[in-house]
Amino acid sequence: MELSTADSVDEALDELSRRGERCRVLAGGTDVMIQLARREIAPEHLLHVERLGELRAVETDGSTRLGALVTHRDLAVGRLGPGYAAVAESAATVGGLQTQVVGTIGGNVCNASPAADTLPALLVHDAEVTLRSVRGSRTVPLAEFVVGRRVTTRAPDELLTTITLGRPAPRTGDVYLKVGRRSAMEVAIVGLAARLTFDGTGVVTDARIAVASVGPRPLRSVGAETALVGGTGDAESVHAAAKALLQDVDPIDDVRGTADYRRRVIPGLLGRAVRVCAQRAEG
Amino acid sequence: MDVTLTVNGRQAQVEIEPAETLLGMLRERLRLTGTKEGCNEGECGACTVLVDGLPVDSCIYSAAATSGRSVETVEGLADDDLGRELQAAFVAAGGVQCGFCTPGFLTTLVAVLRENPEPSEPELREALAGNICRCTGYSQILDAVAATISGRNRR
Repeated sequence: MELSTADSVDEALDELSRRGERCRVLAGGTDVMIQLARREIAPEHLLHVERLGELRAVETDGSTRLGALVTHRDLAVGRLGPGYAAVAESAATVGGLQTQVVGTIGGNVCNASPAADTLPALLVHDAEVTLRSVRGSRTVPLAEFVVGRRVTTRAPDELLTTITLGRPAPRTGDVYLKVGRRSAMEVAIVGLAARLTFDGTGVVTDARIAVASVGPRPLRSVGAETALVGGTGDAESVHAAAKALLQDVDPIDDVRGTADYRRRVIPGLLGRAVRVCAQRAEG
Repeated sequence: MDVTLTVNGRQAQVEIEPAETLLGMLRERLRLTGTKEGCNEGECGACTVLVDGLPVDSCIYSAAATSGRSVETVEGLADDDLGRELQAAFVAAGGVQCGFCTPGFLTTLVAVLRENPEPSEPELREALAGNICRCTGYSQILDAVAATISGRNRR
């Protein structure tokens, strides 16, 4: 195995173009180094991109754009500013301080874990990902980029460079809630993000609901969103939304929890998320 | 491959394997065995060292990634006022029992207190979530931090 450190994005793209599938991109390493140690991956080449300052920027004029190397810690302390509480809350639950200061948002997206905390939060903010290669650049919705358990549509010569989030409308609240056996250092049993926009009379005009750890990949539930729009976050609309959400998920039994348990916690979790969104939309 | 970095204030040039961890380089090549290997997968914090001042799980951090950077280990804290005060407070409060987690707690706490000299207890607990101790039940460790902070405020 070899390792090289890229000093610029262009240099990284050249390397990826030459080496393709034989190359593994290494940022903070919190997933890749473990996968190497467990021999789950055995690339010929490690391309270290962690020091590319141009991918650490956060821009909030107009749309919100964050470089792929923005760390979980950056997000947890609120670098995206108000309106993105779900992103901050999800990043704050990715491991502990030691993994948050080096783990990157681009890495969490490309690792595409079914339990990835940040993915539901990015999904409710209509995230799009930009990938660059020597061939050019493309921008796709996150929901179309992560297509299965640990599977993305990233081509071997592409580097994820930027994540773009929608701008929340006025009177919008968002939240990320996570179920685990304890409150720290947990892989989610269920992760749920919500973003609700209300009109002046408290009626939901726009809704986003996304979940993790209840299927091969984190996903949005359009059925749940539709059920919430037009209601006031009342018990009836939350009940209908939970029913729709349960139809969209496909949980399994694993060491952390059973499929049945996952299904049982979803309605209560959704109700809590709706209440928090309503509170935050007022604030 | 060679990396050149600063370890506890001294420049070091080390020959490493490309996929080597920072923990392996510190313990096996530089013989700095104060840093402990616990879970080896970024869960327990026993291997925490500071890279450019940030607390990092060295068991899952690339040694090559430290090229040109500054690494501080628990050995280096002996030359650091805050590090020395924390160590003494750990001993006095019973924050050290088997001792295996202690280097990780001390390095993490030095980073946390340098950034925020007076964290609230919830902030402190959250900052220490990535450090596991199976002996103390954490209370003595929090007592040691409180004693360190009040000691610094008295001066």
